[in-house]
Amino acid sequence: MPVERASGGTSLIDVLDRVLDKGIVIDAWVRVSLVGIDLLTVEARIVVASIDTYIKYSEAVAQVPSVSRPAIESRTSEDLLAENASLRAQLAASMAREELPARRTRTSTKA
Amino acid sequence: MSPAKRTTGSNGSESRAPKKKPAKKAVPAKSAATAAQPAATRPELVPFPEASRPAGRSGKYVYCIIQTTEPRRFGPIGIGSDPAEVHTVSYQDIAAVVSDTPLEVYDPTRENVLAHERVNEAVMRDYTVIPMSFSTVFKTSEDIVELLRSAYDAFRDVLVKMQDKLEFGLKVLWEPETVIREIEKEDENLRLLRQEISNQKGSTYFARMQYGRLVDSLLQERSEKLVAEIFDTLGAVSVASRTNKPIGDKMILNAAFLVARDREGDFDAKVKEIDARYENLILKYTGPWPPYNFVNIRLKLERATDAE
Repeated sequence: MPVERASGGTSLIDVLDRVLDKGIVIDAWVRVSLVGIDLLTVEARIVVASIDTYIKYSEAVAQVPSVSRPAIESRTSEDLLAENASLRAQLAASMAREELPARRTRTSTKA
Repeated sequence: MSPAKRTTGSNGSESRAPKKKPAKKAVPAKSAATAAQPAATRPELVPFPEASRPAGRSGKYVYCIIQTTEPRRFGPIGIGSDPAEVHTVSYQDIAAVVSDTPLEVYDPTRENVLAHERVNEAVMRDYTVIPMSFSTVFKTSEDIVELLRSAYDAFRDVLVKMQDKLEFGLKVLWEPETVIREIEKEDENLRLLRQEISNQKGSTYFARMQYGRLVDSLLQERSEKLVAEIFDTLGAVSVASRTNKPIGDKMILNAAFLVARDREGDFDAKVKEIDARYENLILKYTGPWPPYNFVNIRLKLERATDAE
């Protein structure tokens, strides 16, 4: 008997292999939704933690029209250096104002 | 033994316990305030008649994301004991395919998991889908619009990459006993060892150890060679491939292939060619699937700090 293709939904094990942790996954969704965030749009927002598409690089380049975000290549290194300096200045100023210790912290500061 | 078996629906997979099985819990009562809001306050929303669902207990189960500017309905094929109408919730040119559901966490039972897959397959006939992982329930359409809005770029990007592509699954199995007998015919060292074991009068412990190791490495070598040949054959007719861990000791390959819709026939022919070429291999060939193995979008919820 030659090999026959079985449609996706006929083998539970194959379905489980896929649906439980592949595709679009919202981390900790269950936990958060049970804790009871009533209106997502007010209390929480969704951020993209990572995207992978596993298409071979060369193929992806050949087949996918350029839809990605605008490139930054138009900026010269002078521009970047200038921007960098100005950002550093702003950062220093704001740290001085709020008397924060000069180390990185991930928590956002409340005004 | 027939060279290839058609997969049947019942192969005892209930034993595969899901990694995390969330306990069902009562829904917080205060969500009543949310559900009381009309679902169609935003112009992008597809108007959906609010049926007589108990207030504060209803949510929306999301199956997949598609590209469409038109609202669509796919019929009463949703998840749950009373299959609800499957419809779209749109934001700009993309939409989530959803159905109304009680606000609860679905356990990955056979029925629920197959319902999730059934909807994806139905939608896939007309659209390129990005599948959602199992049991993602939102409270309101507004939340879904917010999901589409905040990950819009990622969804668009992936929809374009997956356009007109299908996933196929291929598992390759063999009978190790049969293969060992074959290897013994071909490999002289192995044959000599075996003779030594059967002729020896004293302890054969060392010879048997050596024999075992040699068999293992020869099996490994042969399976790697076969897998490489299979990838060579299928690589020409597919866009990408992914390998998952083989399940059990008879499986030598557990792979998924991403194939352009217009190469489906070519891919099919190559799989049949492989099946005919290796009579001792058992192929389990499934699909088309939504591109589960080729899309990995991780989203997380972050506390919104200030609502500026």
